[in-house]
Amino acid sequence: MNRRRLEEKIMLGVISLLAIISAIPIFAIIINIYSEGLKYVSLSFLIDFPPPPISGGAGGIGPALVGSLILIGLATVIGGAIGFFTGLYLSEYSHTKLAQYTQMFLQIMVEFPTIIIGLFAYSVLVAPLKRFNAFAGAFALSIVIIPYIALNVREAYKSIPYTLKEAAFSLGLSYPKVYLRVLLSTAKRGVLTALLIGMAKAGGETAPLLLTILGTTFTYFEGLDQPINAIPLLIYNFALSPYERWHQVAWGASAVLLTIILTIFIISRLVVKEVKI
Amino acid sequence: MKSGKIFQISLILFIVTTLTIVVGIVISLINSSYPIFLRHGFGFISRSVWNPIEEDYGILPPLLGTLITSAIAISIATPLAISLAIFASEIIPSRLRSFVNNVSDLMASLPSVIYGLWGLYVLAPILHKYVMLPLHNYLGFIPLFSVKPTPTNLFTAGVLLSIMIIPFASSIIREAYTAIPYNLKEAAYSLGMTRWEVVKTMLGYIRSAIFAGVFLALGRAMGETMAVAMVVGNIMNIPKSIFDMGYTISSLIANQFPNAEAYKYMVPALYGGALILFTVGLIINLIGLHLVRRVMVKS
Repeated sequence: MNRRRLEEKIMLGVISLLAIISAIPIFAIIINIYSEGLKYVSLSFLIDFPPPPISGGAGGIGPALVGSLILIGLATVIGGAIGFFTGLYLSEYSHTKLAQYTQMFLQIMVEFPTIIIGLFAYSVLVAPLKRFNAFAGAFALSIVIIPYIALNVREAYKSIPYTLKEAAFSLGLSYPKVYLRVLLSTAKRGVLTALLIGMAKAGGETAPLLLTILGTTFTYFEGLDQPINAIPLLIYNFALSPYERWHQVAWGASAVLLTIILTIFIISRLVVKEVKI
Repeated sequence: MKSGKIFQISLILFIVTTLTIVVGIVISLINSSYPIFLRHGFGFISRSVWNPIEEDYGILPPLLGTLITSAIAISIATPLAISLAIFASEIIPSRLRSFVNNVSDLMASLPSVIYGLWGLYVLAPILHKYVMLPLHNYLGFIPLFSVKPTPTNLFTAGVLLSIMIIPFASSIIREAYTAIPYNLKEAAYSLGMTRWEVVKTMLGYIRSAIFAGVFLALGRAMGETMAVAMVVGNIMNIPKSIFDMGYTISSLIANQFPNAEAYKYMVPALYGGALILFTVGLIINLIGLHLVRRVMVKS
């Protein structure tokens, strides 16, 4: 008996220790990013052009920040629309073969290496135009987030009680009214969470952007058919550059990106919490 | 009824869009990569060359790099992910549970370039000083540790990947663990089992979920690009030890694509690498999804 109690103590101790070890990096990352990065962040850091690499001087991430916001916005609109209606179909016609196959495809798509999606966007929108462009980046990001949004919207609609649907139909409402007015107002938190998850993904995704917007321009947005920059890509390019000043900008940009992601994450948690009450 | 049909058909348009994209991705991979397979045949996979001047490409080193880094990642992440799942659902008081789960979900949603930046400037120097150099100095006679390490290499990439995939594997295991019928646990306790013995028994019960979590995490590790590209060293040679600098397929694409257009066959070569990565990843993910579905049916 004693030996078994001792074994229990040791094993549960080891498990707790391993669990704590696996959570250390996230806290280390947040602390490191803010302690290294925040000192470079100021209002002008958010607006200015990147500094020249050698002479030092002030500078910031203005164009990349604007680029990121445009890309996040476009991707959320395009990916959100396709993902939402796809998810609605998956939930309401889940008995059809089409829905079952689509769902399987989406589950595989979630696991796709995103760089492959970048290659696809390159073939479709960059190579034919012979120019890296903002729209190709937004297109790639939309594809990345479609499966996340569709699968989450499906969950949101699935959780609506059947009686509510029956009641809505018994009022003689048309299909679009039932699904997009009555039921959407019940599922709206779930749908909102889905969109927020998509936004966070679009904001942090880097690999597909490397192949679509390139990110070597320092200018502000000049049109969807022109290259732009984005924060994650700027972090990648600057962190791997040999210049100390650009490393500092990469840390500052990381603090900004982390803040954006944390904000979206916290909002999505608050939304979910309210739903449960 | 009529509005129902119209509604269904208009939704199908979106489904078709989604499916077109999936099919389009596969077609574009095949369509853009076949010249390299026509040119080199199996040699594209089995040889180690990257010579743009002579247009000669063989991607064995990055293929090995992908396998080595994800193997390191999986072997570190598996015990940690299982522990985290048990810790969150069995050990801590239930009011702390949502906090731990939130932390784990946050880990999963951090952008990979943030992991990359942190890996490059914080993790790599620490690993270099406290793990890799001691291992090389004392155990250097083992071929695995024989190369004198630089801060960025396959091992660093593997460790960083393990940190990134723990939350994925853990959340799948956690879901299966909390879905275990309560009377099963009660029965186990009523036999006089200790808590550890109950946990051990339950882990046996959900072992296909554990395999599923590990497989899906393996798929993630193989496809992960930016973080790896920042810490793997980006050098084209056959790795002789885990402390060699190297490439993975995805980091090769990220690193070489910006100047690939200058050469006739480099773009097909990179698409070819992506096609191989896609195929291997697809098989691994299908196994993982199959295992997940088996768990769902069971519970």
